[in-house]
Amino acid sequence: MTDAGATDAKAAKAISPGKIPELMKPLLRYAPLLILALAWEASSRLGLVSSLALPPLSEVAAAWVDLARSGELESAAAASLYRGGAGLALAVIVGGALGIGMASWRPLNLMLGPLVELFYPMPKSALIPVTVLWLGFGDGSKILLIFLGCMLPVTIGAYNGARGSDRLLMWSARSMGASRLRMIWDVVMPSALPEMLNGVRTALALSFILLVSSELIAARQGLGYLIGSLGADGSYEAMFAVVLTVAMLGFIADRVYLAVVARAMRWRQ
Amino acid sequence: MNGPAQIVIEDVCHYYRPPVGREVLALENISLEVREREFLALLGPSGCGKSTLLYLIGGFLPTETGKILVDGKPVRGPGPDRGIVFQHFALFPWKTVRKNVLYGLERQSLPRAEREARAQAFIDLVGLTGFEDSYPSQLSGGMKQRTAIARTLAFDPRTLLMDEPFGALDAQTRSLMQAELLSIWEKTRKTVIFVTHDVHEAVYLAERVAVMSARPGRIKTIVETRFDKTDPEVHRTKAFVDKVEEVWSLVREEAIKAQQKKSP
Amino acid sequence: MKALSAIGRALARAGPIVLRASPILALCAAWEIFARSGAVTPFMLPPLSDVLARIYDDAVGGDLFLNTGVTLYRALAGFFIAVAAGLALGMAMSRNALARWFFDPIISVGFPMPKIAFLPVVILWLGLYDVSKITMIAVDAVFPVVTAVIAGIQGVEKELVWSARNMGAKDRELLWQILLPAALPQILTGMQVAFPIALIVAVVVEMAMGGYGLGAAMMQASRFADSRGVFAGIVEIAVVGYVLVKLMAMGRRRMLLWHAEAGA
Repeated sequence: MTDAGATDAKAAKAISPGKIPELMKPLLRYAPLLILALAWEASSRLGLVSSLALPPLSEVAAAWVDLARSGELESAAAASLYRGGAGLALAVIVGGALGIGMASWRPLNLMLGPLVELFYPMPKSALIPVTVLWLGFGDGSKILLIFLGCMLPVTIGAYNGARGSDRLLMWSARSMGASRLRMIWDVVMPSALPEMLNGVRTALALSFILLVSSELIAARQGLGYLIGSLGADGSYEAMFAVVLTVAMLGFIADRVYLAVVARAMRWRQ
Repeated sequence: MNGPAQIVIEDVCHYYRPPVGREVLALENISLEVREREFLALLGPSGCGKSTLLYLIGGFLPTETGKILVDGKPVRGPGPDRGIVFQHFALFPWKTVRKNVLYGLERQSLPRAEREARAQAFIDLVGLTGFEDSYPSQLSGGMKQRTAIARTLAFDPRTLLMDEPFGALDAQTRSLMQAELLSIWEKTRKTVIFVTHDVHEAVYLAERVAVMSARPGRIKTIVETRFDKTDPEVHRTKAFVDKVEEVWSLVREEAIKAQQKKSP
Repeated sequence: MKALSAIGRALARAGPIVLRASPILALCAAWEIFARSGAVTPFMLPPLSDVLARIYDDAVGGDLFLNTGVTLYRALAGFFIAVAAGLALGMAMSRNALARWFFDPIISVGFPMPKIAFLPVVILWLGLYDVSKITMIAVDAVFPVVTAVIAGIQGVEKELVWSARNMGAKDRELLWQILLPAALPQILTGMQVAFPIALIVAVVVEMAMGGYGLGAAMMQASRFADSRGVFAGIVEIAVVGYVLVKLMAMGRRRMLLWHAEAGA
């Protein structure tokens, strides 16, 4: 319980939840963002800040529309999402399999466990130069980067989840004649799922970071590259537009992921 | 003996407001008087609101309906005149036993030497001499509760509010602590309001037992439970056993009602 | 004979350490063997010995310390700014409903965003030198600190707060003397999450912006197809990261001695 004294009880009375209609709640919650947006527009238009450094939000929006119409945004997004998606998918499949495998076979755990521990604290972005070295500026280096960088959280999540598998469940499955493989599929994987899904969530956020970083640094197309080139051109409105797009994509991806997972888990219960 | 009414509770109602859902009436028209230096037990089934009443007296929850007067003045918030002891000790885990006990003393303007002396005196009183520099995580349950009691006694509150303080202890430690509490009360003679759901504990420790009804909590009956507590075999005397049975039957009715409310 | 037994004793003492390090040693051996096997070109995977030689050269030449120092300086500067800002914001948000309402969506929306996307904006505003790098680092690292501070403070058991108030603690005293120490384990965790983030972002912004620093050096090596330099950078960053994480864990144990027995 987290009541912080009599004064908080009074505060709770003042903002009594019963008095706010359901539809208003998300509006009230995100209102500060609206305020920020208005402040942005106002301070830029009124000259409070240099409109070069901070173009009015309305102009950024207009630039966004232009980019969308010209197809530039779409092609950049397509390139980025392809790379991110492919890398993440590989990371999830291989990482998940590895994690579950490590939890189920001691030899594998003994071999790979220390490697996982070793690479865990290493900043994954340190892999950017080496993937560029190997595969250049194209899709390949990004996919490899994201695959390698995002594998670890998934592996650790899957491993921890699988470790937690109810022993009794596993033994009763075995006694019913399930083969090792079957048991993994029927018992270990489902119980590993929640923690693994948590690991995937971390990997999702990480994939965005690695994607944007590598595209800012060494790419010829994609959203990160687009931001850089628009900035270099001096088209700051458009640059802001793409920056916000990327930021929102990261946020939306996370929320969508949570919603899908929540739906799927409920369906499983 | 006991003095005039020190704590007056008049027509107090309290609503419990959960974050979602409607409010629930927790206490209904509680009226009670506690005399100076009296040991009063609040006894009732789970959920009857006895702890809530204690928190209202302590000023941790605001009194919305009715009034609670302590020494003639309405309760406006927590204060060192009503010291509280919680079931789960609420010790500050990053402070040693000594530092915990000193905390209340530091809020009062006493010279340093006196603070240290008082703290040591109370640590000795509860039998924790030698453990002054231990951390709570190094202590057993009984020792933690003694620390909590020493800490509360140290700043010399007129009233002691105890919220099922021995509930988290094993049976043997509990009976030892009960006897110790009585001897401390004899020595310090504070007003004690003791919340419990254990009939035997209430009858043994208190001079009067206020039996509360199931939610919404009301004072059902007040039973006199004065015995010669210096007699180590008092709990075996017929008078005592009869009293326990009497109180138990009062509580049993309410416990059954509370159960029925949970499963309609 | 004596020499042999001396060696034997030394081996026995070294035994456990060697065992713990054996996966790393195995990895190193595997790297060396695989690189020299001819299965991959020295360009793709330079042998470990070459990479180590290169690190040695860098160390002797002073480049290693310069670059490591610069990267660490930026990462630590950004980290400490993030901790200070995170503490201030977290404390404000736990105590003030308005602050909480205003910043909550900013934090929950900002957390999953790839904030590195804002780097060109930060460069536009703050230039091409350390200020923008450190700002970017701080912006990224502040999020885990704020959420940890808020969670830590809000998670303090109400009985601890009530006990402190009971003993006369006022709002400010409550915050600094009770809430922050009680929330410390969680706050430290937040800091332990924030530091690796600070290091990663430091490396990335260096790769993007050039100049001195481990990230910049690595990217430079990559551009010049200097694969030994690239791998040297990976090893250096890995070692720096590992050492700092270990240091933080040690620091945490020291600070949470009182928690030690509780196993946190």
